[in-house]
Amino acid sequence: MQLVLQNLVNGILSGGILALVALGFSLVYGIMNIINLAHGAFLMLGAYITWQLWSTFGLDPILAVPIAFVVLFAFGYGIQRGVINRVVRAPVLATFLLTFALSLLIETTALFVWTGDTRGVQTAYTGANFTLLGVTVPWAKLLTLVVALAITGILYLWLHRSRLGRAIRATSMDVGAAQMVGVRVAHVYGITYALGAGLAAAAGALLTLSYPLTPTMGDPFLIKGFVVCVLGGLGSVEGALVGGLVYGIVSSFATQFDVTIAGQHLSGTGLQDVLALVVLLVVLIVRPTGLVGRATA
Amino acid sequence: MNLSVENLSAAYGDTRVLWDVSLEIGEREIVALIGSNGAGKSTLLGAISGLVDIVGGEVRYGDVKLNELPPDRIVQSGVVQVPQGRRLFGSLSVRENLLMGAYLRRDKEVEADLERVLAMLPRLRERIGYLAGRLSGGEQQQVAIARALMARPKMLLIDEMSLGLAPVLVDSLLDILTQIHASGVAILMVEQDVQTALEFAERAYVLETGRITLTGPAHALLDDPNVKKAYLGV
Repeated sequence: MQLVLQNLVNGILSGGILALVALGFSLVYGIMNIINLAHGAFLMLGAYITWQLWSTFGLDPILAVPIAFVVLFAFGYGIQRGVINRVVRAPVLATFLLTFALSLLIETTALFVWTGDTRGVQTAYTGANFTLLGVTVPWAKLLTLVVALAITGILYLWLHRSRLGRAIRATSMDVGAAQMVGVRVAHVYGITYALGAGLAAAAGALLTLSYPLTPTMGDPFLIKGFVVCVLGGLGSVEGALVGGLVYGIVSSFATQFDVTIAGQHLSGTGLQDVLALVVLLVVLIVRPTGLVGRATA
Repeated sequence: MNLSVENLSAAYGDTRVLWDVSLEIGEREIVALIGSNGAGKSTLLGAISGLVDIVGGEVRYGDVKLNELPPDRIVQSGVVQVPQGRRLFGSLSVRENLLMGAYLRRDKEVEADLERVLAMLPRLRERIGYLAGRLSGGEQQQVAIARALMARPKMLLIDEMSLGLAPVLVDSLLDILTQIHASGVAILMVEQDVQTALEFAERAYVLETGRITLTGPAHALLDDPNVKKAYLGV
């Protein structure tokens, strides 16, 4: 029982940040149909901005979250208006290649600026835990979860209450109709991509609390973000949240998986992602729109 | 202000769709544009709204050359389209759809206009919180018209309003258009239902394979032997 509870808590703690990683990716994919392969690179930039602010000024990573968000938001808007808008209605391969090239460019630049050395952030609460009902909770991960959920909530409210948020949702449903009511689609797309980049950076900033930094640190998170948003349902905040938590909990319980097949010992710790992908496959077969996704007309 | 289309030509890639089309809609006029499937009617409306690139000619509204403006500025100048097939934002509520109609407005009277539109279309008040995609065809068409009204248009371009609707619903929508027209809005209606269009409009143009072939007072076209033969089946 203790073990189940501990795994559940671990799963929720890592699922929250995965939800945030997936959120921006899902938004860009769902609204513009762009599979943004640069999402991991944006996440990495957010992490390095945070590391730089910490190592130069001693700024706490939590306080660096809004800064990383704003910097990448501006960067993302420029990229979308300057480059991606030119191919936004092109076949998916064009945006695929473009965002892949962008990701290579950013990662190589990061390698040049920050070198390939593994970096890390140390805070007063790094490595500190507390125990509740026999369950161990690292402070850093709890803080990460709280901030990730807060950002997710703010984004949800903004999309549903604000004028621009409404325009983003409307544009994702019918670009032509949005233009007919006067929506400047290029601007809305710019804001959407900017949000995607900003959210990736915010996730990257939070990840510095528990992950080491390298210029390619974003790549595994790109894959996980992709899986999470397909799992939950594309383009919705709820989808990213549910998908993230399911992914987190499944891969947490996967560590308990331990069997010997035909003399081969299989340990769950190495199979976390495999099992999460198996869950994805099952969900796609049973519910192709994702766990909370709706079929779009 | 008059909307004038002069020698307009439009094409999708290499395929020419409109050839030297000229027409004029006066302030407070009701004009019908009729023609069969594929004649280019929706393309013409798209060109006026700035959504279809034109290859020649111009579109003027008063002194403003609409063809040099982006779609949002055209909406702002008062020329607003009710698109074919309603094109509602299906997963937004009726209220959100109407607010999207007022997207470009920053004035304080949006809420008051919402009240006014709902007073004109009481059915929508009952449906205000529903997702637009869940409404019946007639209700959806009401939302489409209401959404356009929220932009405070001076000229409405209405594309195939009657498509797929029962005659009784079309009649009630025409009553609404009469009210809108009475409030000072000019109307250009594109219709495949030629009988309905010609009975409702003051003047009409006939568009055939991308060219204007006939124009005149609507009642005269209703009696025109060619129109009768081609569109009214008599």
